[in-house]
Amino acid sequence: MQNNLQDIEKQALEKISTADSKDALESISVQFLGRKGVLTAFLRNIPSLPVDERPAAGKNGNLLKLKLEEAVRQARSELEAGAAGGAEGIDITLPGRMVKKGALHPITQVMDEISGIFLRLGFDIAEGPEVETDYYNFEALNIPKYHPARDMQDTFYVSENIVLRTHTSGSQPRVMEKNEPPVRIISPGKVFRCDSDLTHTPMFHQVEGLMVDRNISFGDLKGVLTTFVQQFFDKDTLLRFRPSFFPFTEPSAEVDIRCAMCKGKGCRVCSNTGWIEILGSGMVHPAVFENVGYDTQKYTGFAFGMGMERVAMLKYGIDDIRKYFENDVRFLGQF
Amino acid sequence: MKVSLSWLREYIPVDLDPKDLSDRLTMAGLEVDGVESLYDYLDNVVVAQVVQARQHPNADKLTCCTVDIGKGELFPIVCGAPNVREGMYVACALPGAVLPGDFKIKKSKLRGEPSHGMLCSAAELMLAHDASGIMDLDGEFVTGTPLESALKLTDAVLEIDLTPNRPDCLSLIGVAREIGALTEPRNKVTLPDVTFPEAKMDSRDIHDFVSVRIEDPQLCPRYTAGMLFDVKVGPSPVWLKQRLEAVGLSCVNNVVDITNFVMMETGQPLHAFDYDNIAKSKIIVRTAGKPGDAPLEFTTLDSKVHKLDPEMLMICDGEKPVGIAGVMGGENSEITDATTRVLVESAYFNPVSIRRTAKRTGIASDASHRFERGVDPEGTLFALNRAVSLMAQFCSATIARGIIDENPVKTPPVTIDLSPKALNVRLGTSFSADEIAQILGSVEFGIDKKAAQKDDGLLQVHVPSFRVDVARPEDLSEEVARLWGYNKIETSYPLITAKGRTLASRPVLRGKIRQAMTGFGFCEAINYNFIRKDACARMAIEDPDKRTRMVEILNPISDQMAVLRTSIVPGLLEAMARNTAKQVDTLQLFEIGKVFFDTAPGKQPEEVEVVGGLITGYRWDQTWYSKKEAVDFFDLKGVVQGLLSYFQISGVLYERTETGTCPYFEPGYGARIVKDGLVLGTLGKIASGVGAAFGLKQDAYLFDLDMDSLEKALPQAIQAVGLPKFPSISRDMTFIVPKRVEVGVMIDTISAFAQKQGLIEDYFLFDVFEGSNIGEDKKSLSFRVVYRSASKTLTENNIKKIHEQLSQKIINDFQADLPG
Ligand SMILES: [Zn+2]
Repeated sequence: MQNNLQDIEKQALEKISTADSKDALESISVQFLGRKGVLTAFLRNIPSLPVDERPAAGKNGNLLKLKLEEAVRQARSELEAGAAGGAEGIDITLPGRMVKKGALHPITQVMDEISGIFLRLGFDIAEGPEVETDYYNFEALNIPKYHPARDMQDTFYVSENIVLRTHTSGSQPRVMEKNEPPVRIISPGKVFRCDSDLTHTPMFHQVEGLMVDRNISFGDLKGVLTTFVQQFFDKDTLLRFRPSFFPFTEPSAEVDIRCAMCKGKGCRVCSNTGWIEILGSGMVHPAVFENVGYDTQKYTGFAFGMGMERVAMLKYGIDDIRKYFENDVRFLGQF
Repeated sequence: MKVSLSWLREYIPVDLDPKDLSDRLTMAGLEVDGVESLYDYLDNVVVAQVVQARQHPNADKLTCCTVDIGKGELFPIVCGAPNVREGMYVACALPGAVLPGDFKIKKSKLRGEPSHGMLCSAAELMLAHDASGIMDLDGEFVTGTPLESALKLTDAVLEIDLTPNRPDCLSLIGVAREIGALTEPRNKVTLPDVTFPEAKMDSRDIHDFVSVRIEDPQLCPRYTAGMLFDVKVGPSPVWLKQRLEAVGLSCVNNVVDITNFVMMETGQPLHAFDYDNIAKSKIIVRTAGKPGDAPLEFTTLDSKVHKLDPEMLMICDGEKPVGIAGVMGGENSEITDATTRVLVESAYFNPVSIRRTAKRTGIASDASHRFERGVDPEGTLFALNRAVSLMAQFCSATIARGIIDENPVKTPPVTIDLSPKALNVRLGTSFSADEIAQILGSVEFGIDKKAAQKDDGLLQVHVPSFRVDVARPEDLSEEVARLWGYNKIETSYPLITAKGRTLASRPVLRGKIRQAMTGFGFCEAINYNFIRKDACARMAIEDPDKRTRMVEILNPISDQMAVLRTSIVPGLLEAMARNTAKQVDTLQLFEIGKVFFDTAPGKQPEEVEVVGGLITGYRWDQTWYSKKEAVDFFDLKGVVQGLLSYFQISGVLYERTETGTCPYFEPGYGARIVKDGLVLGTLGKIASGVGAAFGLKQDAYLFDLDMDSLEKALPQAIQAVGLPKFPSISRDMTFIVPKRVEVGVMIDTISAFAQKQGLIEDYFLFDVFEGSNIGEDKKSLSFRVVYRSASKTLTENNIKKIHEQLSQKIINDFQADLPG
């Protein structure tokens, strides 16, 4: 019985490997695997074998069937592939067996790139809870309850004193409480604001940073942020610093970059101003240092923060912020 | 905050064009969002002269005019105004003009006579109320001159997006003060005259008509009031209406309009009461009730009923509340056409108290907006006097002698000792004390010159009372920096110590997972942290499963985003549904993010970071080399195995999930991923009922791994192993076992055997076969065992006995048969 199967295998494989056309291959396939084929006949004959031989015969017969089917399939695709050629070789213009490609979310990509720039400048990553206490999210940052500045950030509450963090700055007092200067950290992560329209989603991503040491000046803030902007966007990107207000910095500055679309002439992207707001920043307010027990006579520092969705929109020309969280793979696959 | 240039010019010369002025304000911290020209609608309206006027042949009340519209052109225009006459200079809207109310001027015929434009009344051009006839322009004009320039109407309105720290600029005078510091030469604002003309003084004294008592001085440090008699309530004069309308306020009547005008001018909100509705001639400033009292119902002057908490500050008369202090007046004492005696209030309220009340009642008024940010505590009297004198003038009223000024809590002036050295360190500048004094002086900070000459070099700076945002030296550094110009401060680079900290492990792990998963062909998804409240029910998860402990958001944006997720599953399933709805049927998605479990009331939830992955659709598409084949459980398991092996995590067991632990998996298709007793995560096929609840029309396979556990399972260190020097030999073994026997258990047995027996290097399943010829309840399993010695080339004799022992052990342990 075993000999018989081995013979079938040997014969069949030889014929399959030498078949020179698809038609020839089909007839070989029928000869062995067809309804009246040799192997089919063998399998049909199993019940007539002695009882103790039947399991092995069945199994080996079926295994051979699979093996031959695979051999036929392979020979067929080789014949197809070589259809153009023979001696000239294969048709190399046939599509390859493409490996599936994955993609990182565009937000992850910009966040990684930005983190990378600051890591190279000697910053560490400090992460904090996404559900934060009112103290770390607001009070430690000099935003007392019932301060009008709270209107600047529409907050999600889960209880009277627990909020979904409105910025990642809460990590800053947490780190400062535990470490004496020098401190250089960035805090990338999700933040939440009670706002939803064409340009706002209730969740978005920020990278915020902090540098504290002796003699850190507003000029240094300008230097570090200029370095960042010119590495991230373009080495010739113009930027300007504009007075603003954040309760945790004094002086506070918005950083605008020259609109790349219109080169400053004014267009739809920059609302005809020629500038695009990209970062909030400022010198750390002494009240913040007092809250964490830093000596305000000895240390100064600066802080900054920016929204990843906005940065990615500028970088990739994305027009609708909601696309980030729809997770349509036709969108995700583009980055 | 809107300001018009013509209004600003009452206090400060402004010669800059609006664009230039906007840029300067923006770069000084008063961001100008937009500039609008106020008289744009006067395009195509010119000064013209009526050359000839004759009766319309077909209409009694119409006049056919010949009008000189400039450059010698004469237009026929039909006019219905009674005052039209030859030689008159008129305002003429030419074809193409679009007048207020979207009224388009075209060439047309009126009762058969041609008319190529329109002669306009002041009302039609929104320049005055007079609609009785066309404008009769007084003086000599060149015909064809645009009306806007002929009447010097040019005006622009700047929309300033003020930051909350600058309430002083919620006023025309405040903005004018900034402009004075930003233009050359620097100018100081000219304040309006607030002395009362003697002719307007009444003989009666206010103190004989009203008394004021402040019961809560902390909430109302100052309350001033003035009174007017014989007030004629009516429409405001045109100039006043124009001022208010230009900055976006609507007009009510002359008394109310004057309070609004003075608020816009000075930043101090005012309120006017009808004196005759003030019971018992008393004003009492007190809270609405005692703590614990029931809420008080009160109707504000916009006719809305509010429920007021007892701690809210109210203005009351001798019997009842008449206004919510600093927020909105009451309907019961508002000014009406019948009002003749007016009590004007100008007060200073505690900002926090006003903000709390405004928030709770949901009233955001121009008054509360200013009070909660902080008005000038010394500005109450000036604003009061300004309003009273304007009312005397424009409401033909007389002024009561005397004013009420209750000031139980004085606001002390702020003086700051400023170290020029510290300021320069902070800014990275090198200003001299004089330069600093000069810059600060430009916005009315007082510098004590004598103190400046003290040894310590400190400047004593007196902060003007309207700058409630300035309290410490750092605030002054911002003043200096913004007025000097941020962009003129030299850019420098900090010298930093090379002392670094160890990289946080979690971002590194996350990065590696992302690398592996994208390498496996997965796209990264980011889902919202918030999900639907019924998310657990949709996943068939029930109490006491930990995942039912969801954190609710008190103020959710929608029902779809009402709670924080306790599982990464729903987000991935929803993302799948969105994709398949767009005919994308093959997906490999992964997400790294946190899930949240409620702990105790008022406490932060437990945050757990997880990584989840989902596959659905086809392993291969239909191509020239493959047929379309659907993915199954083992594709997913392969991903998990691949990911764990990427991290060198070995010895992982896959255990069937217990009933109820992952009810969203199809029964019998779910597994726990376990290493050394630690559950790393789960994987399985989504149950069809759960899939249907998420609108899925095809099978989905999903895994999740806990990042903390994954981190714990990482090998401490990786030690290189030498490569084998001698060849291996392989032997196969096939068993027929009952179907219920799990391959994993057999592999565990082989593994245990291999560990005791040093020559087995590897072993794996290479075939599974089921068929009637081996019995309905049986399956045939084939394993390959690879033998290798580290010290020699193995021969058949070396392994024969071991292989037989292993085979026998399996036969014994699993009631296995050998085939054949
Ligand atoms: Zn532009």
